[in-house]
Amino acid sequence: MTSSRPLDAPRPSYGAAAIAGVLVLVLYLLTLAPTTAMWDTSEYITAAYTLGIPHPPGNPLFVLLGRVATLVPLGSVAVRVNLLAALCSAGTAAVWFLVAERVLAQWFTLRWARYAGAAVAALLSATAFTVWNQSVVNEKVYTVSLAFFAVVSWLTVLWCDDPDGRRADRILVLIAYLIGLGYANHPAGFLVGPAVAVAVLARRPRTVLRWKLVLAAVLALGLGLTPFAVEPIRAAHHPALNEGEPTGCTESIGFKCTFSSTTYSRLMDNINRVQYAKPSLSERQAPLSAQAGMWWLYFKWQWLRDAHGAQSGLQLVLAVLFFGLGVTGGVVHWRRDRASFWFFGPLIFTVTAVLVYYMNFKYGASQAPELSDVPREVRDRDYFYLWSYSAWSVWAALGLAALWRTIAVRVKADGAGRWLTTAPILLLGAVPLVGNWRDASRAGETTTREWAHDLLNSVEPYGILITLGDNDTFPLWYAQEVEGVRRDVTVAVTSLLNTDWYPRSLLRRPIVPYDAAKGPAAYRGRAWPMPTTPIFSGSVAQLDSVPEYVELRTPQLFQQGNLRAVVDPRQLEYGVPVRSDLLVLQLLKDNYGVRPFYIARTTGGYVQALGLTPYALMQGLANKILTGPAPTNADTVALGGVGHIDVQRSLELWRGYGGPASIIARGDWVDRPSVGIPVTYIGTALIIGQVLQQQGDTAKADQLRRTAVDMAQATRTLDMFMEPERSPPPAVPSGDAPRSAPLPVNP
Amino acid sequence: MPRSFARPDRARLLQALAALVLLAGYADLVAGGVRFAPMLLVVGYFVLIPVALLAR
Repeated sequence: MTSSRPLDAPRPSYGAAAIAGVLVLVLYLLTLAPTTAMWDTSEYITAAYTLGIPHPPGNPLFVLLGRVATLVPLGSVAVRVNLLAALCSAGTAAVWFLVAERVLAQWFTLRWARYAGAAVAALLSATAFTVWNQSVVNEKVYTVSLAFFAVVSWLTVLWCDDPDGRRADRILVLIAYLIGLGYANHPAGFLVGPAVAVAVLARRPRTVLRWKLVLAAVLALGLGLTPFAVEPIRAAHHPALNEGEPTGCTESIGFKCTFSSTTYSRLMDNINRVQYAKPSLSERQAPLSAQAGMWWLYFKWQWLRDAHGAQSGLQLVLAVLFFGLGVTGGVVHWRRDRASFWFFGPLIFTVTAVLVYYMNFKYGASQAPELSDVPREVRDRDYFYLWSYSAWSVWAALGLAALWRTIAVRVKADGAGRWLTTAPILLLGAVPLVGNWRDASRAGETTTREWAHDLLNSVEPYGILITLGDNDTFPLWYAQEVEGVRRDVTVAVTSLLNTDWYPRSLLRRPIVPYDAAKGPAAYRGRAWPMPTTPIFSGSVAQLDSVPEYVELRTPQLFQQGNLRAVVDPRQLEYGVPVRSDLLVLQLLKDNYGVRPFYIARTTGGYVQALGLTPYALMQGLANKILTGPAPTNADTVALGGVGHIDVQRSLELWRGYGGPASIIARGDWVDRPSVGIPVTYIGTALIIGQVLQQQGDTAKADQLRRTAVDMAQATRTLDMFMEPERSPPPAVPSGDAPRSAPLPVNP
Repeated sequence: MPRSFARPDRARLLQALAALVLLAGYADLVAGGVRFAPMLLVVGYFVLIPVALLAR
């Protein structure tokens, strides 16, 4: 038998919850990112600003919301989208306040004591590391998803209170609608569904037999899914960001091409994330124990991030403490408010245990570092458990309230006195606020924006820049499409060149005039003729016909004009030339002598793998591929085996870079998997400094070396430069590298 | 007017308004609109439909 809410129970304190939410928002504003950040942040800001389509499933609801956010005249475009994340999480904290207060109302008679306990729930859920860190920069769509969870949670609680009430059926239909709408933001929107079903079955089982109500709920859920219609409509307009290109329209939007089998199959591929080719659940990517261990690793981060392992003992103690408090809170929830437990308990089970099994992750990027030969996620995936840690915080707060009560009733004092004297125990709830501030805060973090400007400016006007993955590409999209910086440069990322849609979008990209006034000083004082030919010489059909890979495993000669490169497939990532390699060479061929051709230095040994070393000329953060072998003279110095350096150009570009000062000012780096970015800067400074030293310019060389050391110390990468030779810096991880078909295994 | 008639009318009015706003949003989106289309769709999906679903 389930308990219902007592008739004399206090009404929910919406006002107090709103105050809690506002205070959380103030915290987020204090620690808000002033611009974009690494990983997917730039992609989502760009998608919102251009009303484009980010990577599958395309998140159409987020794009709509984000686009509206960008129209609010408040700060920069990036700040507006970051504020959206902050608002969603602050709203969630307010709802968790209500949930906690409701449970406490069953056994805390003093109103202020209930408020105190509920405030701890809001505080813990807002300052758990991953929640906080994701709420001060819009890196993903998960904070919007979290807000959906919170609203559905509260509506379900209201329904459970009065399942036969006048509004009960309408609330259920609204819940179904919001679950559908949440899915249009992110598939995780469905995760709340099982908990709603359990709550309904536990509270009023016969509800599921009322077919009219069930039908209305199904229709409402379908209505909530309709924002997916935005994808083919916008895709047909070919916005700057059109990932997956879910349309059959090649030129402009039309009825026939929109309602075509091509549009349908591409849209379904996008929604179902086909390009990621995730294995079936029976094919585990890591032992289940390791996958649960990943959740625990990130759980430890929530209460004290300790990014550099300086307080691992304290971190473990706190994790055990908050785990124990959460378990206690769960038991208390079960005993004191069974009605809401039937929702909240299954919710936590779904977003924790079920999600661990369903996500089927490889080992985490920073998990079990002693295991050197296990497949790993390209970065830490703590954000996938955002919902788990947020909801767990409510239980941890209830557990802390239970501890408070246990101590208070043993104190020899009257009335409120015993509660007041023991209230300091609640300060435990402020531990994540203090412990996570440094690592969760994004205040003053401008490096990614500077990085995007610096890399784009390393390329001469109308140049083509080959990049590798998320972090050397998305920030550039942001700079070009949102800030209008160096739109004359064509950025071609190899991980997406393996898809069918991306080469088409490159071909469609308009040629934008170079704005010399906004460009770096290095390119002033001479004319830069605007190319008139498309970036690819072939048609869309010819681009589509480029194979996934070519079964060539012996060295091949690539020749164009004075350029003769021996491509050794054994040095390529897959042991054979794949679609992206073929298209990079096609770009090089089609633009030979027409557009400057660059390969970002974040691509590791790609220049060498393509046999282009004799033609590579380092200019700042990128290698320019010359039309003939690089000469060796005072300005063009050979870099033992990895090409040449244009000393004066690199030095001139370096002086204009904003990244180094930003890295040093920040004094830290966001995570180890993206450390290739600062390492590229450091390598650049060391190489230029070394050449200047050889040329006798000791003062400049020392200055560059000092800057390099400062950056290495700030990013804790000094160990990588113990032998400061001219080896290429590590490649930047490409993130969720999309592919349209399985690629051959490296022999 | 009796309440029993007035309330369903209000619900239908809200439903019609929600449908109209969404249709206008999608129509503008099809026409290439990137300013009013998202505004209309967000208002429709986040405000009008929930209100219409709850209305009696």
